[in-house]
Amino acid sequence: MSFISGYIADFSSGVMITLELTVLGWGGALVLGTILTAMRVSPIRTLNAAAAAYVTVFRNIPLPVQMVLFVFGLPLLGIQYSLFASAAVVLVIYTAPFISETLRSGLNTISTGELEALRALGFGPRPAMQHLILPQAFGTVIQPLGNVLITMIKNTSVAALVGVADLTFATNKAAVDEAQPFLIFGGAAISYLVIGLLVGRLVSTLDRKAAFSR
Amino acid sequence: MNTKTLFDAPGPRARRRHTLIEVLCIALLALGLYGAYEILEAHGEFSPAAWKPFTQPGLWILLGQGLLNNLRAAAVGMALSLIFGALLAVGLLSRKAPVRIACRIFTDVFASVPLLLLLYFTSLVLPTYGLKLSDFWFLVIALTLFSSAVVGDLLRSGIRAIPYGQTEAAEALGFSGAKTMQLVLLPQALRSMSPALVSQMVILFKGTALAYVLGGYIELLRSATVIGTYYSRSLLQAQIVAAVGFMLVNIALGLLATALASRQRRQSASEPAQEKLEASAALSTP
Repeated sequence: MSFISGYIADFSSGVMITLELTVLGWGGALVLGTILTAMRVSPIRTLNAAAAAYVTVFRNIPLPVQMVLFVFGLPLLGIQYSLFASAAVVLVIYTAPFISETLRSGLNTISTGELEALRALGFGPRPAMQHLILPQAFGTVIQPLGNVLITMIKNTSVAALVGVADLTFATNKAAVDEAQPFLIFGGAAISYLVIGLLVGRLVSTLDRKAAFSR
Repeated sequence: MNTKTLFDAPGPRARRRHTLIEVLCIALLALGLYGAYEILEAHGEFSPAAWKPFTQPGLWILLGQGLLNNLRAAAVGMALSLIFGALLAVGLLSRKAPVRIACRIFTDVFASVPLLLLLYFTSLVLPTYGLKLSDFWFLVIALTLFSSAVVGDLLRSGIRAIPYGQTEAAEALGFSGAKTMQLVLLPQALRSMSPALVSQMVILFKGTALAYVLGGYIELLRSATVIGTYYSRSLLQAQIVAAVGFMLVNIALGLLATALASRQRRQSASEPAQEKLEASAALSTP
């Protein structure tokens, strides 16, 4: 087992980078996704069309393509960030449309009668959104959003494609150097599995907590 | 998917306000687009020199072959993962606990490991066991490992949704267990899960772009990069053309999934709303 000790540092920093990418990507995507959803339901047609176009374009271009375009293409225009920042930005850009679509399906589950009751009680658009519509929409889509999150954790590995030293990158490096790739890949697979299971458990707990709103 | 109208129809004052905001938004959007245009123009990305290589048919053939290679890998991966997924679904529903647990572990592991890690795994580990395959097969094997786990779970839930009476009826008619699965349960599960399976195809197709990392398989992203190395002036253009190619295929597949889902909704209008939510959620997984 001695050969592993040399890679422990690489591995743990890889796990840390994967987790950082997940947190940054998820936070950013949640914000951008919520803004996109708000644009989709707004009565302003320009905003609506712009958000729809954004969702169609960035949802349908594969993540590796966006990653390569951002890291190798945009520097030609003088737009250049660090590899880690680029990877985080691309994850946000790619994941936001999925969050927006999920949230929108949540909005659609709110019953028409409830919306009419809101209007009858004199709620304007913004308070209605803030106090009643959005909390309920978030409540119904916790499980689907959790699925998006778990997929995003896996998607952080695409950052390794452009050289961000995340868990997948560290695994590949160790496996190229060592003669026992099976053990190394097994360790990485278990790491991803554990992260995924923990997040899945967290999501189920949250979902049960939010179940009262349904 | 249409969005419900959340608010009242606007009155005259709100309409005026909306018109004002609309104009402001158009102005802002135009400004943003103009800014992007300026940046591109300043770097000469619209200049004829940058687009000149694209007048050669050979370059389009290279790009087209790249896209075909992506489609080929995704199609072979999907076909294989349907076969193994069906076997896994049977295993997941087996009455024997060891079979069930083994299949459960397989699906959980391969559904939660990133595709890129699987691709590194197949391309590094398989050759050490004497399997000297081409990069195409490394990609297809990685796709199949991941996708058969997902398809297996999808088909399992599709089979579970079929009323148990049908299994009993098949038994009463003298069907063996395997025949029941093959003639009664699997066809129905495949049909009810077809929108989700098409979404899985989209995920596989997007995953094929990861073969970029292997370098030995000329898929669309790699062919764009190859063009960029020969015509360094046109790298960005080639990448954007590749991105548009991926986008168009995915939009077409997405439309197919939506059409399948809405046809099913029409056929089973009496089904509860919960399943509709799940079906639409299945379409929106990255």
